[in-house]
Amino acid sequence: MEDNNASPPNSDGGKSDKNGWTAPTGRRTDEWSETLVLIGAGEDRAAFSRLFRHFAPLIKAFALSGSALSASHADELVQEVMLKIWQKASAFDPEKAAASTWVYTIARNCRTDMFRRLQKFDTPLATEDFSPDMEHEEPFMQLQTRRSAHRIQELMRDLPPEQTQILAKVYMEGKSHAEAAAELDLPLGTVKSRVRLAIQKLQVQFEQTRDDVI
Amino acid sequence: MIKHHPTIDILTEHAAGTLPLAQSACVAAHMNYCESCARSVGQLQQVGAALFCAADPEPVGDAMLERVLARLDEEPPLSYANGARVGDDPTPALLQRLMRGDFSELSWKKVTESLRTSLIRTGDPQFEFSFLHIAAGGEIPVHDHRGAEMTLILEGGFSDQSGSYHQGDFIYREPGNVHAPRAFEGEDCICLAVIDQPIRFTGWKYRWMNPFMRLQAG
Repeated sequence: MEDNNASPPNSDGGKSDKNGWTAPTGRRTDEWSETLVLIGAGEDRAAFSRLFRHFAPLIKAFALSGSALSASHADELVQEVMLKIWQKASAFDPEKAAASTWVYTIARNCRTDMFRRLQKFDTPLATEDFSPDMEHEEPFMQLQTRRSAHRIQELMRDLPPEQTQILAKVYMEGKSHAEAAAELDLPLGTVKSRVRLAIQKLQVQFEQTRDDVI
Repeated sequence: MIKHHPTIDILTEHAAGTLPLAQSACVAAHMNYCESCARSVGQLQQVGAALFCAADPEPVGDAMLERVLARLDEEPPLSYANGARVGDDPTPALLQRLMRGDFSELSWKKVTESLRTSLIRTGDPQFEFSFLHIAAGGEIPVHDHRGAEMTLILEGGFSDQSGSYHQGDFIYREPGNVHAPRAFEGEDCICLAVIDQPIRFTGWKYRWMNPFMRLQAG
């Protein structure tokens, strides 16, 4: 994908322009992927501070969403997530995941673990044990993964408000379908079908032989 | 060929982190066998990420940045390799973690001639999480589920009036389902079962056991 604004190649063969940085393989990455790679490769504190300034306010909003956590727990969560990002950055592979999905997944796992700790679960399991292992994805599938992230962000803008609202309850506030139904005073079936319709509009793919494909 | 998968609702709740711990473990174990569901959950996570990035940010002061920078030299906690198989054992690493061994090292409790169970502690106070071992050709006596039940086939398989289930298949039964699974001939069946109410035997032969069937959640 050639870009007229591309500047001369960097010493590593990549090219920078106003939209991001193109790796020598021709794959375009975003600013935050580049930042995570810098943190992972060189423990770059300046890069980390930049990442912090962008993501910490989003993590805090996520923590406070639905008012399930106090302000002090929310602050604790922000610190925990940012530390985990620092510790795990060397495992971040820009071929395999978008920076935003990677950060969100860590935030989600930390919040779920915090909810369980606060409910005094005594468990040998951490939520990160439950994420799908995408390590062995072939390059074609990795490309599909990057494309789907992009597509989902674009399509999100066109969702009707009641579908965005229900997705926010489930993802941002961390409510189960049943809890969302109780809070919105809707039948459980309505909540489930709104979630499914939203997911269908976002073109999330499911195994075609299943019997509950929309 | 895996034919039975978690529903879209269950996958969405799993991707959002809102499934109870024991149920999440069962869904995650299914994804070890099923790339298609792993991919779906990956995309469902991207939905979460899109919402996360679009949220109105909350102000975070520089004091917090300073605090975090001061902690960067802390030792990271130990963690197990995520999802990685340990050795050649096809048992999902997650389950190996819970079991700390292979199936032969579990302590099994006999329920009937054909059925043995092994309770696993997950820490989830609401759900009982067990391995079931059904002898080849053997049957779990007819029972109903007053609560919901998730089952994942790990070895062998069974059939009941709703279908035939093999390794990697994920089955979700609503409350009120009555069935009597029978393991395939020639192969013992091992599966994972997650329930939030004790099962109730409905046939005359085993009904006497019901008062003693307490849910062992935790």
